[in-house]
Amino acid sequence: MNQARIGLCVAAGLLLAPGYALAQESENAPVDNEQVVDLDTEGSVDGAGEEDADLDGLGDICAIDPSACPTVDMDDAAERALGEQMYAVQQIYALRHRRFEIQPAWSFSLNDQFVNHPGPVLALNYYITNVMAVGVSGGYYFNNDLSFNAQVRRAARVAVPLNEYQWQAAVNFTYVPVYGKFAGFSDFIFHYDAYVVGGVGALSDRPYAVIDPTNRTFDFKPKLAFNAGVGLRIFFNRWFAAVLEVRDYIFNDELEATTIATGTAKTDESTWYGESKLTNNIQAQVGVSIFLPFSWEYRLPK
Amino acid sequence: MRRYMAGLLVLVGLGAVSQEARAQEIQLTGPLAGAPAVRQLRLHREGRIEVAPSVSFTLLDEYQRTILAGARVNYNLTDWFAVGLWGAYGAVQSTTALSDHIQTVAEQRRSTEDGSLNDRLVRPNVGPKFKDQLGTMNFVLAPQLTAVPFRGKLSVFETFFVDTDAYFFAGPAFVGLKERANCGGGSGVDCSDFNTGYETASRMAIAPTFGLGFTFYSGDWMSFGLEWRALPFAWNTGGFDTKGRNPDERFPDGVIDEKDREFKFNQMLSISVGFYFPQAPRISD
Repeated sequence: MNQARIGLCVAAGLLLAPGYALAQESENAPVDNEQVVDLDTEGSVDGAGEEDADLDGLGDICAIDPSACPTVDMDDAAERALGEQMYAVQQIYALRHRRFEIQPAWSFSLNDQFVNHPGPVLALNYYITNVMAVGVSGGYYFNNDLSFNAQVRRAARVAVPLNEYQWQAAVNFTYVPVYGKFAGFSDFIFHYDAYVVGGVGALSDRPYAVIDPTNRTFDFKPKLAFNAGVGLRIFFNRWFAAVLEVRDYIFNDELEATTIATGTAKTDESTWYGESKLTNNIQAQVGVSIFLPFSWEYRLPK
Repeated sequence: MRRYMAGLLVLVGLGAVSQEARAQEIQLTGPLAGAPAVRQLRLHREGRIEVAPSVSFTLLDEYQRTILAGARVNYNLTDWFAVGLWGAYGAVQSTTALSDHIQTVAEQRRSTEDGSLNDRLVRPNVGPKFKDQLGTMNFVLAPQLTAVPFRGKLSVFETFFVDTDAYFFAGPAFVGLKERANCGGGSGVDCSDFNTGYETASRMAIAPTFGLGFTFYSGDWMSFGLEWRALPFAWNTGGFDTKGRNPDERFPDGVIDEKDREFKFNQMLSISVGFYFPQAPRISD
């Protein structure tokens, strides 16, 4: 309805404007006394400069509405504070408010030189506000025994308990305190944001039987796991972005016992586990973000 | 069949349309045609010298972490290109949990199994003080070129806004190292001798260095920086005999020498505070 009213007003204005325009001199209208006008010289046309100076450029207004003529002082008007509102960043490029985010990624171990735990990760978030989201995430792990492990064991004859991971899942809270934009090569502009994420869930793992592989076989067990991380999102458009995230999964891990019980006790499962250790599994995650719905309407035009 | 025909028609249509589209010429018109992306831009870098004291923390260390204190000096030829030098000194070294574990186990073994097979196998690799035989990064000196392709701003807590740039750098690095000295073989030094077998020697490694960083400008003459740097080269971080014997020299040969150096993708994270001279930046048109 408002749009219709605005449209009517604009149409009415357009109808009025040509009416005034008709009163102007046509470019092709014959000129009685043809003169060469030097625009760099004041008052080059007889009388015209003086008249303009007198009216401070209000000649047209005075001609249209003589009652308004003396009430406008152009100097005062020019000095008047406008009080306009300026925006440091106008219209955030990619609004997140009330949008879903699907975030598939691939993760890499950052802090485990003995066993690498790469794997796919998927996160689903819903943005309650533009800067806060709740979501769930989960991932599956592959496990690669690294050559460093063999080197240390051979050189120092040190048995280091190792664990293999199976999966992790968590509910998360995301906060986006930082957003901005970069001009690339002074040519194109792209937008980015940085977020912090934290959550709680479970991580399933088990020890590798490296101390006594003959007698010990371990089953996967889920453990309570907390996670905290930071991420950087670079937007390619308003619904698609690249994501780089570093997240620490913190859990109390059960390690294989470094000593072997004697006699029949060595087959007793209760003797297989050694110390429990608070473990920080730091993962770098590289992926993409897809925001749904793809588009939205800004509440304000600016 | 109708679907296939329809699909073919659509493809043909798209092909025809795209051929016409290629012939189009994009012409920017209007008052902003040819205008710069940003007017009155504060040129934080152009024509200025940057002096940035920094602290660097090595990442993913196996045996020993290092904290390097240093500084970066850059002369910014333009707002997007700089030449400079980064130098740092390994001020603090601390062992990892693995090193402490190796030391503890070695001490226990010597006290309970002195002369055993395990003890004899380990003795050339682990000396009386494991920390003293570890490879150490003493200093780094790196002339480098810096490109600043990305310039922008960021909002923090939707409260304050900071001029920011992202940069990449690369150059050669001269790394002053201390690592276990050669022993065994023709060196005349017994690798298992507790008195002489675990001494260290200094050398200079020349390696490429590269990385990326962010600069956050807190004012006209000051900034804060966060930087990731890679410094890949081969060195013997643990002082172990790991290579030299066939096949392919992949097995220990009882000799500590350059064959025992292993390629490491050394990384570090640096934080810095930058100061700029002259103190007032230029402003673009």
